[in-house]
Amino acid sequence: METFWETFKRHGVSRRDFIKFATTITGMMGLAPTMVPTVVRAMETKPRVPVIWIHGLECTCCSESFIRSATPLASDVVLSMISLEYDDTLSAAAGEPLEEHRKKIMKEYWGNYILAVEGNPPLGEDGMYCIVAGKPFLEHLKESAEGAKAIIAWGSCASWGCVQAAKPNPTTAVPVDRVITNKPIIKVPGCPPIAEVMTGVVMYMVLFDRIPPLDSQGRPKMFYGNRIHDTCYRRAFFNAGQFVERFDDDAAKKGWCLYKMGCRGPTTYNQCGSIRWYNGLSYPIQAGHGCIGCSEKDFWDNGPFYERLTNIPVPKQEADADKVGATIAAAAVGGAIVHGVASKLRNSGKKEE
Amino acid sequence: MRIEEAKKIYIFSLGLRIWHWVNFLTIITLFVTGLYIGRAFFSGPTGVEATYAYEEGLTMGFIRKVHFIAGYVLLASFIFRLLIALFSKRDRLVLPTFWRRNYWVGLKEITLKYLLIMRDDEGHEYIRNACARTVYPLVYLAILFMIVTGFGMYGMSNPSGFWASLFGWIVWFLGGEFPTHMWHHWIAWLIIIFAVLHVYFVVREEAIKKNGELSSMFNGYKFFKERPVDLDDIK
Repeated sequence: METFWETFKRHGVSRRDFIKFATTITGMMGLAPTMVPTVVRAMETKPRVPVIWIHGLECTCCSESFIRSATPLASDVVLSMISLEYDDTLSAAAGEPLEEHRKKIMKEYWGNYILAVEGNPPLGEDGMYCIVAGKPFLEHLKESAEGAKAIIAWGSCASWGCVQAAKPNPTTAVPVDRVITNKPIIKVPGCPPIAEVMTGVVMYMVLFDRIPPLDSQGRPKMFYGNRIHDTCYRRAFFNAGQFVERFDDDAAKKGWCLYKMGCRGPTTYNQCGSIRWYNGLSYPIQAGHGCIGCSEKDFWDNGPFYERLTNIPVPKQEADADKVGATIAAAAVGGAIVHGVASKLRNSGKKEE
Repeated sequence: MRIEEAKKIYIFSLGLRIWHWVNFLTIITLFVTGLYIGRAFFSGPTGVEATYAYEEGLTMGFIRKVHFIAGYVLLASFIFRLLIALFSKRDRLVLPTFWRRNYWVGLKEITLKYLLIMRDDEGHEYIRNACARTVYPLVYLAILFMIVTGFGMYGMSNPSGFWASLFGWIVWFLGGEFPTHMWHHWIAWLIIIFAVLHVYFVVREEAIKKNGELSSMFNGYKFFKERPVDLDDIK
């Protein structure tokens, strides 16, 4: 395969624009400016990497996000940076010819292609809840993963399980790393992940021919190293104790902190506060709605989204930790008083010999 | 009442008493500030531009700072408590002696007493009754849990920093940061419920036996009418 620089030249990109592009993506990948020469060299020497992109149980929101990447443009990534060989959603071809092509690519680049997985495999009923190309997705995934160099788990589905794995998980959907255990897996959670984070991960992998530094959960450190709360532009209102109490109050209009509206920013690791969405246009909190923590494990089960504390299953009641705790503490005080009086009575008078 | 024959026994060392009261202050502080952090029931300076609101006193930022300082004090006092236990046998009166018969006899007696079936002046005398002996280790564990989860969450603002490398694992062990917040919250209530019962049983002991239970945490001494069964545990 040709190198990036060769591809760029073929497309008529000037050397100057090529260097500019390399500088921009160095910043996007969270690398220091001193890394620019390294990135340029990599783009001049590394061949483009074949990518097989498969879809399991999912809603395609990851793909929808990906194609909106602005820096770099998703079209640049797909057409110039990688060699997207198979994607049953984006490919013009369909059916058996496409499946044949996937097998051909796997054979040709055995051990060298990247497998991008969007969605996850359901294990229930032998995987019958998700059929791709006439076979359970579970088999499709295992087969495609066998010759892969590394696997990118796109989105919360592939990383954690997401909505289909939320209680009671009727199809027994599991994250990719529960099925594939012998390959390096890069988790890029989010529902969907930020477009620039997705293209950033792909670029890092193809340029440096290695997986990005991961945290203990398998997520790229440069994109999931911060809580949204710690990068949120409304943080000053949190520290000052200025909170939105209702979505239609004056504070909401002024753009105060959404903490009391159940915002999950303080417990969510993502880049929404810094990279933001749609070419840095906005993100949920900026739009006036709290974060729901979509890049966190089991976020669907940590509801209600508009409360700070989860409900504790108390029969016939909606109760959170504060209510239950205060009730039990009050009961303990009451019990102590009653027990105290009874103890005093029991121990009054002489000891019976 | 044969108080004149009562034996005066030194139980709580000075270090332990200081630790107890430091713990009392920090836990109250942590609980009250923690409740506010979990649910900001009163709002801070409203109508003041956020940049200048820091000077207004009871802001979320200030309350969090108090919470973190108290957390550091709790951690320091916990380490202090472990150290004094290393050096003095008296301060090791923590573990329940499951392997001894008198623990089980004591557990039966204290249960009957608390169920008001047995009178409190019946049965054996103990330096620390079996019920307390069972619960205190759990309270230590609860405090340790609060320290680990607290500093874990505190440190995750810098995931490769000192606190995150030390305690950050707990966040993932509990299934993410949100569940960690919840656990931190639930165990806080558990400790407060313990505190309520703890105060009650101390006052009850004092009111019925008049054995210096209440004052022992100030001067270290308790009074016994006969030789306590578990006297060897502190001497």
